[in-house]
Amino acid sequence: MRISRRGFLKGSLATLFLAGTGLPVYSSTKAKKNLVVIMLRGGMDALCAVPVVGDKNFEKRRKQLILDDTIKLNSDFSLHPVLDNFHDLWKESKGAIVHATNIPYTERSHFDGQNLMESGGKVPYKVKTGWLGRGMKVAGLRQEGLALALPMPLILRGVPQNNNYFPTKGKLPTDKVLSLLKDVYKERSEDELIGMLEIIKSRPKERSYAADDLYSLANEAGALLKKPDGPRVAVFEVGGFDTHAAQGGVHGTHSDCLKEMDLVFGTLKKRLKEEFDNTLIVTLTEFGRTIKQNSGLGTEHGYGSAIFMGGGLLKNNQVYTDWPGLKSKELFQGRDLNSTIDARSVYASAMSTVFDIDFKRVQKEVFWGDKLQNLSDKLFRT
Amino acid sequence: MKNFFRKVAFGLGPDEQIPSDPLNWAQSQITDQIPEFTFKGKIYPEKELRKHYNKYVYQDRKVLRKKFKNDKMGYKAAKNKVKADTGQKFWRNLEIAIRHKEAISGAHPVLAKLWYFWGNHFTISEKDFLANYSTGAYQRETIRANMNQTFEKLAYESTVAWAMIHHLDNAENVGPKSEDARAEWRKRKKRPATINENHARELLELHTVSPNSGYTQENITELAYIMTGWAPDDKYWKTKLETADVKFQRKYHEPGKKIFWGQNFPKGKKGLPAVIKFLSEHPSCREFIAYKLCRYLITDYPTKEMTDPIVNAWEKSGGYLPEVHKAAIEVAFRFNNEYSKFQNPENWWLQMSRMTDANWPPREEKFDSFLLGYGLDPYQAKPHKFMKDMGHHPYLSQQPNGYSDIAEDWMSPELIIRRLLYARQGYINLKPGNKNDEFFKGVVEKNFDNSDKIMSILNQNEKTIDKHILLFNLPEVLRA
Repeated sequence: MRISRRGFLKGSLATLFLAGTGLPVYSSTKAKKNLVVIMLRGGMDALCAVPVVGDKNFEKRRKQLILDDTIKLNSDFSLHPVLDNFHDLWKESKGAIVHATNIPYTERSHFDGQNLMESGGKVPYKVKTGWLGRGMKVAGLRQEGLALALPMPLILRGVPQNNNYFPTKGKLPTDKVLSLLKDVYKERSEDELIGMLEIIKSRPKERSYAADDLYSLANEAGALLKKPDGPRVAVFEVGGFDTHAAQGGVHGTHSDCLKEMDLVFGTLKKRLKEEFDNTLIVTLTEFGRTIKQNSGLGTEHGYGSAIFMGGGLLKNNQVYTDWPGLKSKELFQGRDLNSTIDARSVYASAMSTVFDIDFKRVQKEVFWGDKLQNLSDKLFRT
Repeated sequence: MKNFFRKVAFGLGPDEQIPSDPLNWAQSQITDQIPEFTFKGKIYPEKELRKHYNKYVYQDRKVLRKKFKNDKMGYKAAKNKVKADTGQKFWRNLEIAIRHKEAISGAHPVLAKLWYFWGNHFTISEKDFLANYSTGAYQRETIRANMNQTFEKLAYESTVAWAMIHHLDNAENVGPKSEDARAEWRKRKKRPATINENHARELLELHTVSPNSGYTQENITELAYIMTGWAPDDKYWKTKLETADVKFQRKYHEPGKKIFWGQNFPKGKKGLPAVIKFLSEHPSCREFIAYKLCRYLITDYPTKEMTDPIVNAWEKSGGYLPEVHKAAIEVAFRFNNEYSKFQNPENWWLQMSRMTDANWPPREEKFDSFLLGYGLDPYQAKPHKFMKDMGHHPYLSQQPNGYSDIAEDWMSPELIIRRLLYARQGYINLKPGNKNDEFFKGVVEKNFDNSDKIMSILNQNEKTIDKHILLFNLPEVLRA
């Protein structure tokens, strides 16, 4: 391993020239800024997605999972070869990665981990709202959240009247029926149902078939985020990262999941056009995976992972990390990439940047004053 | 009080009498025998369906990919033919029809509702072709068939079921010091044998003691060692691939003394049943199951007052499920008026169908007339299509923890839109003679205590379809 741990804190100097002038993105008129979160469920393997270059500790533990034809990002990290769209963003200085990061959760349960990655808390199932929903509440963003999923994910809860989009075919009831229902809900104090009926009433009465694949969802989200009066926050879900077996190399199961993530990046870029410059996309996962492959050519639940980021609100293309190393003694419990950056620092900084609210407020009102780093000036164009 | 018939079951149909003793009505459905299925069409054994699974994967992997390696279109056409020949899109529809018939027309709807609970507890989530060929049959033959046994027996049977072993990768769980670890091919291919923790982790976390019990990563690893060797019989690998029956195979088992959670366990085949017995007897297991049962039937956040009687019944009966179920029903009865539980989409749909005696699921003849090799008619395809669209397909949960039982997880504009759209579909499913005011009055009077109030709301609409949509989206119907 050629890189020193602290050497990465300043990002990759080789790519800084692409960072632009550093001028503020916004004029005094303040453009609408969007925050998109892609939740990667199952435990995204950061060592597969953003492999470290030339590390013998890595190579000897992953003999069958080492990728060919990776894309070189800088002297120390490369990119999984299926991430074409992300690579395009990187080349335009609109793609960046935070590596060796995770939420402060080390128990390796998917379900507890996913609950915490969405709530931002430390005790599973204790917090009933999501960090994004609470952040929106602090920013006064009501009715500005959009989930591209059938359920309303926990991450968005905490602010009323978020919307979601997951198409189906059919005919909605008449306004009279909806109004009657609303009256009954009011009488019974069914506040949540009332809020949903309000949203439903604004939908077209007749819904024809529309695809619900990720591409179509990202396309729709892009169209809505682009509107000046559209949502400012969108949440996607990509599942299937839990590859205990047959994780594969370039064409394996993990790659398929990464491709899906990449599709969201690419579609949003294409659909948002110039508004992409006012957008920030971040990914989120519950944990990374073990450095060592198992005999089923998969990996087990781990700890440290990575955050992919895209959009014009990024400061530059960089792999931002406080690299912990991959020697046995440097691994978390001798088996996992360690996490040296609390991922919540990235999300708090992202909300501070996109929602134009003071970082300390986010820290205090969204994350209960937990010790987090303000990374806004390191990662984003503030 | 009438909501109790929906809380623990699916409400009362037009031809049913209102039971004078609701608790007895519910508890008497829980017996030492598991009743025959209500569905009178052909029901296929899991092993037979697995043969179709095998045929599909074998043909695809071993025959077609080689035969059509330079002919993409030819490969696609041949693969589609194998899909049709093996009923890939059919079985899941048939299985849902069998499942729904129990709730809608069966004499034991309480047992059906509990069956769905256990199917979700020991979830087989969406993976490979399990939903297409195996999950429905697993829920019939492994889950329902063991609901008159102890929890320990149910947990053991579900753990070693082929579908579960495949679902949670235990075939990949190989002892690093096992006989197989020394196999020449491993050296040649540089693939040293390792454990795979997936199944061990979920057995602890999801199926038995839950993280509240305080197990550690070390305990997970210890359990994974005990579970090595349980895999599809490799004797048939060449023909059956991963679909052979599960068998304990010593060659994959980690030899030596087995310690788990500070206790000694037998090595070899006896290790897994012993550890499941240990887990089933662990206090955290009964507390976890009692909490989940209350959460499913009564309220999102059960109290100790609710869970204690179930835990006591478990302790007295050694985890005998009929006694545990009866205790859960009694608690649901006791707290019936204080709590109302938001019904998940499938249970809501089944309640609507039972209360209105709707034409659901499609008739048995529709399924019996299916011919392998042919496409599905629209009726045969409906069960899968409807449940998927509602976001609550019983064989397609996205993760091994199954579907949530918390109201908030079923609340979103799109999910509420599904309730509105499928209430319309429920009206379409009504028998022609039942689309009138008199019929609705009967449904409401039989199933709701505040029938006058409900009827006054419904009567503000002229069209019966609007009354139907309104009725099945009222708070007292969404909750029970």
